[in-house]
Amino acid sequence: MVLVSAVRDYVNRMLQDISGMKVLILDSQTVSIVSVVYSQSELLQKEVFLVELIDSISKSEESMSHLKAVYFLRPTSENIQYMRRQLSNPRFGEYHLFFSNMLKDTQIHLLADSDEQEIVQQVQEFYADFIAVDPYHFTLNMPSNHYYILPAVLDPSNLQNFCDRAVDGIGAVFLALKRRPIIRYSRTSDIAKRVAHEAAKLMYQQESGLFDFRRMDISPLLLIVDRRDDPVTPLLNQWTYQAMVYELIGIQDNKVDLRSTGKLPKDQQEVVLSSEQDAFFKANMYENFGDIGMNIKRMVDDFQQVAKSNQNIQTIEDMAKFVDNYPEYRKMHGNVSKHVTLVTEMSKIVEERKLMLVSETEQELACNGGQVAAFEAVTNLLNNENISDIDRLRLVMLYALRYEKESPVQLMQLFNKLQSRSAKYKPGLVQFLLKQAGVDKRTGDLYGNRDFLNIARNMARGLKGVENVYTQHQPLLVQTMESIIKGRLKDVDYPYVGNHYQQGRTQEVIIFIVGGTTYEELRSIAQLNASNSGIRFILGGTAVLNTKRFLKDLEEAQVIARTNANVV
Amino acid sequence: MATRNRTLLFRKYRDALKSVRIPMSSLASSSVPKSSGGGPVIEMVSTSLLHPNRSYTPLSTEDPGNSSKGANAVIVGLPPAWVDVSEEIAANVQRARTKMAELAKAHAKALMPSFGDGKEDQRTIEALAHEITNLLKKSEKRLQKLSATGPSEDSNVRKNVQRQLASDLQNLSMELRKKQSTYLKRLKQQKEGQDGVDLEMNINGNRSKAEDDDWDDMVFSEHQMAKLKQSEALTVVDSVNELAQIMKDLSVLVIDQGTIVDRIDYNIQNVATTVEEGLKQLQKAERTQKQGGMVMCATVLVIMCFVMLVLLILKEILF
Repeated sequence: MVLVSAVRDYVNRMLQDISGMKVLILDSQTVSIVSVVYSQSELLQKEVFLVELIDSISKSEESMSHLKAVYFLRPTSENIQYMRRQLSNPRFGEYHLFFSNMLKDTQIHLLADSDEQEIVQQVQEFYADFIAVDPYHFTLNMPSNHYYILPAVLDPSNLQNFCDRAVDGIGAVFLALKRRPIIRYSRTSDIAKRVAHEAAKLMYQQESGLFDFRRMDISPLLLIVDRRDDPVTPLLNQWTYQAMVYELIGIQDNKVDLRSTGKLPKDQQEVVLSSEQDAFFKANMYENFGDIGMNIKRMVDDFQQVAKSNQNIQTIEDMAKFVDNYPEYRKMHGNVSKHVTLVTEMSKIVEERKLMLVSETEQELACNGGQVAAFEAVTNLLNNENISDIDRLRLVMLYALRYEKESPVQLMQLFNKLQSRSAKYKPGLVQFLLKQAGVDKRTGDLYGNRDFLNIARNMARGLKGVENVYTQHQPLLVQTMESIIKGRLKDVDYPYVGNHYQQGRTQEVIIFIVGGTTYEELRSIAQLNASNSGIRFILGGTAVLNTKRFLKDLEEAQVIARTNANVV
Repeated sequence: MATRNRTLLFRKYRDALKSVRIPMSSLASSSVPKSSGGGPVIEMVSTSLLHPNRSYTPLSTEDPGNSSKGANAVIVGLPPAWVDVSEEIAANVQRARTKMAELAKAHAKALMPSFGDGKEDQRTIEALAHEITNLLKKSEKRLQKLSATGPSEDSNVRKNVQRQLASDLQNLSMELRKKQSTYLKRLKQQKEGQDGVDLEMNINGNRSKAEDDDWDDMVFSEHQMAKLKQSEALTVVDSVNELAQIMKDLSVLVIDQGTIVDRIDYNIQNVATTVEEGLKQLQKAERTQKQGGMVMCATVLVIMCFVMLVLLILKEILF
């Protein structure tokens, strides 16, 4: 909530002091930032009657000097170039410039140089440089996310860009929250260390004046971890509502695009899934599939009641009541159709891809089970004709991650089988994954088999039995968070940056996963936050992952690694 | 949340850079007062001389309404004509709001028990309600005028202005209807209350003649009251109907909150796709027309005509 309201406050402040008709100009990144927190109707109320992208606005020559232009851009060199061109050929009456992060002096110089007609009224930095998709969740949605996988020597300039964007985003989050954190990072990950050190440099040295907020006794904790410490979570099939929609259909900036899934009425082709605006979604986003079905049925029944009473219009009073309630009714109708469509689509996909079967094996691989049984199960599924390629790849990867050291012969067999079955499989992807995220590379105890305490805990859980086979997996993040709550996060695994040490118990923890977050982890965070442990957790990442996205990152990284290996 | 204002630094750079540029000396415009920014009007003129391909109309220069915070004068052109229409509608909305407040007061007054006839009150209420409904209707008609065609940026602005005014109008009409229906309900209650009193009087039957006369009078005036209230109810119902119609028309224009249409990025994309679609449709139309059967037929017929003519001439010549 706090992140969403911070971004909303920024947008409100941008618009409130400027009277008259306005036009809001955004770039491709800030469009996402603003769209998830502000709606079109709210913009209209603030008299913003036109919203444009900065690259399309430069193509038009129409002069609209009765409008005042409000620009909200990221301070990239490309945007500065666009701005310069627009300032030298002004179309609007006034210009108000807002940038989502810190401007360099040279950039201000360039802008001042082009502002010959002195039409720029203000230049401000409003640090809304992250997409606040959910309460307690933000993402940077980086297009080339795969650079975190590669070592620095392979492509230093792109990796530097990646780091810069991550550090900018983190800095913006803390400026929006007005805090300066203590930073810890995951020991085995070079990229996490790099991001952590650069963020510390930014907050404590370069811009220490900007970050010097009122010192409370307890600074928040920023923990930077690497996706490769837990490669299992993005590979699993999900069964809770939000995560499932993202896994099977895909969510972008809280919008779901259903256009590819057959014939749907026009208003259902693209829908919005936002917990702020949709009460049903908010109540059900972390529920599992079976419960959702029941809740939707209840919602449909309620709606049918209302619809029936609406059809029974006999007196003037009834008509008046109908007209009164019509907007509500329409909204309810839209909402009900949206959820029914989504669930129908997902059921169809589950049926087609036999996901119940696949997921059962996946959960076994991720949580417990012996090696022999696992090998058999995976082989059977690989032989099954109905299983799609991505599911086969997923299964082999999960098996490899768990049993990489045991019985390499069988592992080889699986690889060969996978290669023979899946035409599109790029050979060596699984091995690449193992190289990057194998047991030697990971911090933390992914399978709970490294120290006695965890083994005991696992056995206890096995004996107790699980409530639901399909949702028994708990991401590694949960263990990390529990250690933080108990104050026992090991220094050895997660060292501090600099010499700021934790005094007392933190109350606010921001976990930044380099490489991307998953909705399953978000669910764990939401559950922990709701359990009143005294600590508030916020999750953020360079992207939001599902299996497809994770595999794409791996493939792209593999291609680059291979081409560079050939060159060298 | 933290922000940082770079305007001062920006202005410093801007002034510094300006003094580095070619100084504007002899171009006299003595009548124009120098503002703090160093005579921007002069600069305007000179830059337009220096860069003749700059094309914008220096209409009104020192527009005090627009310069804020001691900033420099800004060239403001005249806004397009439809802005007048939107401002008119906005003014109507404002007027309707004040009248609604008055109506609320009148309702309250009419509902208070009074000894007088109450006809005065009814008339004011009726008049007010009528006025408001007229205002809303008029605004709604004018609103339709704001619709624009063509995928220009101006048309987007118009569409958005239209949407916002439509939602304002819809809210107002809903408010009016709610007020009227509560008034109606309270009226009804009062009427029943009076009937209750009537009943009571019936029960206490031992009356003298004088009282009976009084009672007759009361019954008579009660009939009148009942009729009055009924006619009021009818007028209120009428306006409810009218408003229902307006709401239906408006609901097409208003955005539903929380749907995809309410998303900023969807609207931006939509503009782009509509423009592209429009282009595609045009191209398709052009192609179909070129390949059109009509054109073929016409050409064939013309050729046939010529052929026949030639044949005719040949026939005449040969025979």
